[in-house]
Amino acid sequence: MSLDDDLIAAHLRGDKQALVDLYERAAHLTQDVDSACFFATQAYIFALDCAHPKTMGLHQFLCLHGREE
Amino acid sequence: MTDTLASVRQPVNTANGLPNEHYIDPKTYDEERRAVLFATWAGLAVAADVPENGDAVPIDFAGMPILLLRDRDGQVRVFQNTCRHRGMILVEEPRKIEGAIRCPYHSWCYSTKGDLVSTPHVGGPGQNTHPNIKRSELGLTEIRSYVWRDVVWVNIDGTAPEFVDAMAGPIERWAEFEKPLYHGGADSKFTLSVKSNWKLAVENYCESYHLPWVHPGLNSYSRLEDHYNIEEYGQYSGQGTLVYRQLKSETGATFPDFDGLSSKWHTAAEYLAVYPNVLLGAHRDHAFAIILMPQGPEETHEHIHLYYPSPDTDDALRAKNAELWKVVFEEDIFVVEGMQRGRHGVNFDGGRFSPAMDGPTHCFHDWVAARVQDYRGPAKAAE
Repeated sequence: MSLDDDLIAAHLRGDKQALVDLYERAAHLTQDVDSACFFATQAYIFALDCAHPKTMGLHQFLCLHGREE
Repeated sequence: MTDTLASVRQPVNTANGLPNEHYIDPKTYDEERRAVLFATWAGLAVAADVPENGDAVPIDFAGMPILLLRDRDGQVRVFQNTCRHRGMILVEEPRKIEGAIRCPYHSWCYSTKGDLVSTPHVGGPGQNTHPNIKRSELGLTEIRSYVWRDVVWVNIDGTAPEFVDAMAGPIERWAEFEKPLYHGGADSKFTLSVKSNWKLAVENYCESYHLPWVHPGLNSYSRLEDHYNIEEYGQYSGQGTLVYRQLKSETGATFPDFDGLSSKWHTAAEYLAVYPNVLLGAHRDHAFAIILMPQGPEETHEHIHLYYPSPDTDDALRAKNAELWKVVFEEDIFVVEGMQRGRHGVNFDGGRFSPAMDGPTHCFHDWVAARVQDYRGPAKAAE
């Protein structure tokens, strides 16, 4: 299955933990900063939702690129 | 337009009750919603509904979407259950908030303290800030709340005096009962749905006049003449009994007593209607709270919760006590539903009160009428 397929399946399951990991992976795979920040935002929001241990790291990444406060 | 409430505010001997429209008319219901339920300290729920940090319960309070939750530090908080972005309902079902409250629409996120913590893509894809979106100004709208006797009281419109001032009367009256209350758990709560305006449940609760007719079992040991009226005009009303007998198990065991009660309470019990919509009972060995949740002019949900002086009480005795009270409260259903149907009689004039027995009920009518008159204002009332 592709990353896209995994993401859609995780959305359908409402699996927030998986969504954090999958969107984070999508952020790492792209070379484009805007795209990376888009995916990192998705990961960050689901991390906030489920109190995921990656919340702080994602927040720092977005702040580093001027995308979050 | 004449002031239809003037006759309600006469002394009990000559007063009429609230007119029919206060029970059946949607426009008057909406007026009372604002004047009586939203402008005062009303009961919303009990703190036991959110026992653990992060527990969140959406509540429809007379059409107002409310979110009751216990924040991450254990404080009970009440918010408008509406996202500050596009007005989406935030929480649809009771659940645990693990981290943030995430709006299901565009995923704006709030902390359990109501702070807006993220606004994804608000400045464009991957840009989560915008100069015009000031998070410090866009937190959840918090509703004034106060927990007393485990009831979560709310003042929706924010105009009521401080809770301890507004409720000084009942707080002082029951100062001896200011002890820890322990909810009896799943077997000590139940909900009754009645086809009646919420006020009729208050009116029936706060008088003892009906006991020998509607609760003959109760009256067999606690006779009408053992009761007294509680009438504090402008504040609260209810009834008391001088003959309270403790429930006993087959082995003669009883619930423990609340610590430090004076001897008066060894055989006495009181039942207060704390306006607008909370009915409280206090006995030496248990207490209860009933929250009346209006579902419209002609339907009410009664949420009943039983409390004890100790977290460890006998399961069977607790279940027996809950069943006893359930029978009593179910016996009242035909009365409040019958009075509701009776108010579709177009020639009913609000009825008259027994000067001797109906004082507590008139006290409530007088209070409601005063709130509505204040809301309408002197000019409108005189039209």
